[in-house]
Amino acid sequence: MAGPKSPLEQFTIERLIPLHLGSVDVSYTNSALLMTVAVVLITLLLVGATRRASLVPGRLQSVAELSYEFIAGMVQENIGHEGIEFFPLVFSIFMFVLFGNMLGLIPFGYTFTSQIIVTFALSIFVFALVTLVAFIRHGIHFFSFFFPPGAPVFMAPILVPIEIVSYLSRPVSLSIRLFANMMAGHTMMAVFAGFTITLGVFGFFPIGVNVALYGLEVIVTALQAYVFTILTCLYLRDAIHLH
Amino acid sequence: MVRGASAGAGRSASSSSTLSRMSEGGPSDPLARLGERLSRARPEQGRKPSVGGEEPPSSSIGFGFRIGIELLASLLVGLALGWLIDRWLGTRPWGLIVFFFIGAAAGMLNAFRAAQGLGRSGRPQ
Repeated sequence: MAGPKSPLEQFTIERLIPLHLGSVDVSYTNSALLMTVAVVLITLLLVGATRRASLVPGRLQSVAELSYEFIAGMVQENIGHEGIEFFPLVFSIFMFVLFGNMLGLIPFGYTFTSQIIVTFALSIFVFALVTLVAFIRHGIHFFSFFFPPGAPVFMAPILVPIEIVSYLSRPVSLSIRLFANMMAGHTMMAVFAGFTITLGVFGFFPIGVNVALYGLEVIVTALQAYVFTILTCLYLRDAIHLH
Repeated sequence: MVRGASAGAGRSASSSSTLSRMSEGGPSDPLARLGERLSRARPEQGRKPSVGGEEPPSSSIGFGFRIGIELLASLLVGLALGWLIDRWLGTRPWGLIVFFFIGAAAGMLNAFRAAQGLGRSGRPQ
């Protein structure tokens, strides 16, 4: 962390509008600002695309239709027919994560998905919802999820805790995956950008690396949004079909 | 120039559609016919088996990353659970020790399930 510009400095939270609710700090931060920007952009994109909907879609409408078709196909394929009622949720999660990742790549932007508390809040929400859906659909039968069918009964004292821990680790792995990917990518770019100055004349080399890394990051942002969404779908399928 | 060409193409397309409207029977509106064909095609599309395009283009580095995270997350959850149980029941070291191993086992289970393919997470079918 030595030096005036640490590569981790880009992740600092700044209070733009300090707010306190009792003893709780609810300041409007740069992270919250970027979340607002993401929501506004998504809304503008979808409303703008569907307002003047034509039979032959324009560019904006194509983007909206493509993302709709993509998520609808994913939901249909991974959850099944009854999963279509979760489409709004899955679509919102996908767009929010995708825009959060993408906005971080814009210079002077901020990646709110590089904060583990944000990704954890998202994934614990998904986890709570999935558990709730499973309980509503299957009631007490839901607990059979923690015992693999066909296993000998005397193995239950070992298998059941393992399955429970495995189930509880879902939100943790879901959030760590997104957060770690985002943070690693941005840290790496900052480190290489730092090399540019220290290497002087040979600074063009780290710049070249950064250009390549930037391209890679664009893929990673889309891929991680996809992974987050498809895992949400798979968890929902587990909740609906149980085994 | 491109614009002129595309306008010409549009004109010829519209004239051919009026031609087909005159020659074919059925609903006179081409849009209505298209909607009818779409509604016939939709359910069939839903039933067809998944094409291979759903697998993410994951690199081996990404895959290794994923396995590592699965291992780590379960271990963390196991440790946290053991620590909490110790705090509640006052069984100081034992909850942590037992749940460390349970967490490790769950991590390997999750890693194994992840290695079976992202498209089939959850339990093996």
